[in-house]
Amino acid sequence: MDEGNQELARLLGRVALRDQAAFRALYQATSAHLLGLAYGILERRDRAEDVLQEAFMNVWNGAAGYNPAMATPMTWLINIVRNKAIDKLRVGKAERASTVALDDEAYAIADEAEREPQRLMQAGLERAKVNTCMAQLGASQRQAIALAYYKGLVHTEIASALDAPLGTVKAWVRRGMDRLRVCLEQAGVTA
Amino acid sequence: MNYLRPERLDALARDYALGLMHGGARRRFEQVLRASRAAELAVLVWQERLAALAAPVPPLQPSPAVWERLEARLQPAAAVAPPASSRWAWLGNILSGRALGGALAGLLIATVVLRQEPGLVGLEPARESLPASYVGLLLDNAGKPTLLASSRRHGKQLTVKMLQPIQIPAGQQATLWALPKDGAPAFKVGVIPAQGTATLPLAAPAEKLFFSVARLAVTYESDANASAPAPAVVLQGHCVKLW
Repeated sequence: MDEGNQELARLLGRVALRDQAAFRALYQATSAHLLGLAYGILERRDRAEDVLQEAFMNVWNGAAGYNPAMATPMTWLINIVRNKAIDKLRVGKAERASTVALDDEAYAIADEAEREPQRLMQAGLERAKVNTCMAQLGASQRQAIALAYYKGLVHTEIASALDAPLGTVKAWVRRGMDRLRVCLEQAGVTA
Repeated sequence: MNYLRPERLDALARDYALGLMHGGARRRFEQVLRASRAAELAVLVWQERLAALAAPVPPLQPSPAVWERLEARLQPAAAVAPPASSRWAWLGNILSGRALGGALAGLLIATVVLRQEPGLVGLEPARESLPASYVGLLLDNAGKPTLLASSRRHGKQLTVKMLQPIQIPAGQQATLWALPKDGAPAFKVGVIPAQGTATLPLAAPAEKLFFSVARLAVTYESDANASAPAPAVVLQGHCVKLW
């Protein structure tokens, strides 16, 4: 676990003991990153902020259930936020006016990151490695994975967004994830 | 369908972690997750890998209102004591029609301690009932309450609080054991401190480990890898479900 995650794990331990100052510090350290993820999926700030708020209430009430041996703190937090955002997305699907555009829009979100000030060297390095690995995938594989991870779409939705048969989309995801896994492991991004 | 064939499991874990499952498939796989350690681990591995994908997402600063709403929710009714009747209702439910014997005294003491130390089991101050938890109160051989152990029903850690210090012989470890009621062999929960508090990681959710456990005991072990408790029991007590 890197230094940042160790500090987050320490804060989570304090939050489990009802330490409000630690909760605030945890929120300040992670909320912008987590809101970025929720916003990518929901595409509306108000809904993304609702998800963020609910997620942090879960953190407040459930920090005692966090087990550092099983997941890094950031992964644990990301899981909570993504699950809530995806739930909200699916509940609100009927309200959504438009479908996802056919271009590389989903991944464009990731590209914007290149222009963000890199506040932390480690985060910047990791970001660059992920971008490099994503770039090594075929365009279809990359789009399918980006639509799933950044946009919360399921196979059938990806198939209709990319105008491809379901079986083909499943293969893109499977092969893309295999290549991504190997690339990230070689780059030392994942344990 | 056999979910647990390794290759199949890896693919399902990947799809689940990526968010590709929905509806019935998601619910069915979540049932598998609760029952299978292998499935849980497969998902954890994928979630850890996928977390890297979050790195390039540009951060978005939340508006101040989000924190203000959160802060307001942290202590909404903290100053307002819940009505006495409902505060004790859960105790009545537990006690009615059940002969708990020694565990009764333990529960009452545990309740007092838990109410003073809500952080022990992660209670919200304003919550009217205790969350589903496993609680054990261990007495020494003189009958004095010495160790309080608690874990949330689905939690993966056990909090231990020493109510009075114990004298651990040099070179030995005070080891906490769980004794299943069906006569199955005792299993080691972890090593406890002589005083103060400790958090012991659990290999599985408390529910899975303690479901059939009736009693807890502490022995002094000179072999850190001992697979069964030494005959001389130092502390012992009931392990009860708080729901």
